[in-house]
Amino acid sequence: MTSSTNSATRATPTRGILALTLLAVGLILIAVLLGVVDIPTTEVIAALAGNGSEQSDLIILTIRLPRILTGILAGIHFAVAGTLLQSITRNPLADPTIIGISQGATLAVTVFLFFAVYRFNSDANALYTLPVSWLPLVGCVGGLMSGLVIYSLAIAKRMAALQLTLCGIAIGAFLHAIAMGIVVGWGSSRFEIVMQWLSGSLYARGWEHVLFLLPFTVAGLAVLPTLYRPVLMLRFDEDVARSFGLSYRLYFSLTLGVASILAASAVGAVGPLIFVGLVVPHLARFVAGRHFALVIPFAALIGAALVTGADLAGRLVGGPEEIPIGVVTAFAGAPFLLFLLRRYR
Amino acid sequence: MPLRADEITIKYGAMTALDGLSIEVRPGEITSLIGPNGSGKSTALHALAGLARCTRGTVSLDTKPIETWRRRDLAKRLSFLPQNPTSPENMSVEQLVRQGRFAHLGLFQSFSRKDLAVVDWALEQTGLVALSDRDLANLSGGERQRAWIAAALAQEAEILLLDEPTSFLDIGHQVEVLELLDRLSTERGIAVVLAIHDLNHAMAVADNVILLSKGKLIFEGRSQALANTSYLQTTFEVHGNFEATASGEPYFRVPLASTPT
Repeated sequence: MTSSTNSATRATPTRGILALTLLAVGLILIAVLLGVVDIPTTEVIAALAGNGSEQSDLIILTIRLPRILTGILAGIHFAVAGTLLQSITRNPLADPTIIGISQGATLAVTVFLFFAVYRFNSDANALYTLPVSWLPLVGCVGGLMSGLVIYSLAIAKRMAALQLTLCGIAIGAFLHAIAMGIVVGWGSSRFEIVMQWLSGSLYARGWEHVLFLLPFTVAGLAVLPTLYRPVLMLRFDEDVARSFGLSYRLYFSLTLGVASILAASAVGAVGPLIFVGLVVPHLARFVAGRHFALVIPFAALIGAALVTGADLAGRLVGGPEEIPIGVVTAFAGAPFLLFLLRRYR
Repeated sequence: MPLRADEITIKYGAMTALDGLSIEVRPGEITSLIGPNGSGKSTALHALAGLARCTRGTVSLDTKPIETWRRRDLAKRLSFLPQNPTSPENMSVEQLVRQGRFAHLGLFQSFSRKDLAVVDWALEQTGLVALSDRDLANLSGGERQRAWIAAALAQEAEILLLDEPTSFLDIGHQVEVLELLDRLSTERGIAVVLAIHDLNHAMAVADNVILLSKGKLIFEGRSQALANTSYLQTTFEVHGNFEATASGEPYFRVPLASTPT
């Protein structure tokens, strides 16, 4: 009997992997080499090797490198979280906003700054130094909390995937409205900082942000292989997945938890770069085709490349007045998404 | 008796979907669930598959309540195919059938020679070998239905619960599926419970016919015994009559323009 396993289904798309890796590595290299301040390539290499001049050391090692690394990690977080969420909600428009992660983070950051400003009212400058270093943690906790609230509601009411999505959107909109209410009511120019955070930015991201994100990245990516088969199962209707032998609620919760932690930590560190989580999964699935095992690795690669490229473009085009990365990803990503939408017809 | 439902009642809010139904699923036996739309056939199958919560009564497998089974262990014993399942994007026939092996694999374990052989067997049984690489989205309704049946077969379960497995199929493929079920039950001793709309197919294939109406059991027994009653006429509200066939199986004939006015 000849085996019906078809070679076309199994052959690894080596070209796709190679092209994506080259793209990501190339963008990262260019991002290190180019910037607002012109530094010769030899100087950059010297700085990376540890014997550059004081000025190039400062720019490369303390400013550019951690900023790029933060972008890579955040890109991976958003892209992987988006992929997981789109799989388990079976909704192609799912991203970290649908479980209220970014809105919860926004509200937490706003409330935090609100009280921080009250406490340090006497000195307006203190605002810019002290609370900023707390923003990643505050945003992350806020995002996780709203994710948890929405998830508990979904479990208590025994909601299906679509209801969970609608519930998440409703609660997210509510939280966002409160946050915006606080911002408007405050009416202070000090809230430029909130607006900057909201548009998603890698500006002034340093090693502390890399160190903040890295544990989440490592933990998240370490858990993912155990979730590969269950996530595939979660693409089926609940009844079908359970009949195939999946403990649906357990794995739905686990996957949602991993996605929430990845998204919340990234939102905390760089603000809601939501578009990455929406568009990258589509690109990854498009490149991976039937190779389901490659969708998440591709998403991670594309996410890293997209954020690095968008940040680079924002830095180069805007000069010292950087264009926020969220604006660039939306500009570049929207046409891509429109192009991809054609295949849903 | 491996799988049984004892006096189960299932209510959705104020609506009673099943009312005190008892079913015993026996090895090597085919049970046809028949009844008008909304009579509770589908709910009964969901309950047997451990996918619907009983308001009263219990469903048990090996005397152990079905809700206490781990889904993974249950999937090796019992396989359920709902009506009209959604097919994931970008998935080929073979990839779908492979999902039937989920319960037999560890989280990291790759497909063994045996798993692949079972997948091939399921594809062969459903006549899908030539289509194994096709995308589910590019299949006809009948082909897709057979792909889902193949996935259920790949579970190698001893109990097969099917919700209208022959809908969307043309008459040739309907008969093929029913013959396949018949073969599985006689050769492999698999217990089959299927909800089915075609009454004559239901009676022809079944060792045991269960007629439901508004969630209640109206009749249970062999097709020949059903032919001696007028339950089909009263339950479906049609004028019809049984005719003798060469094979001795009852045939229920309903002429057009026969609904009572």
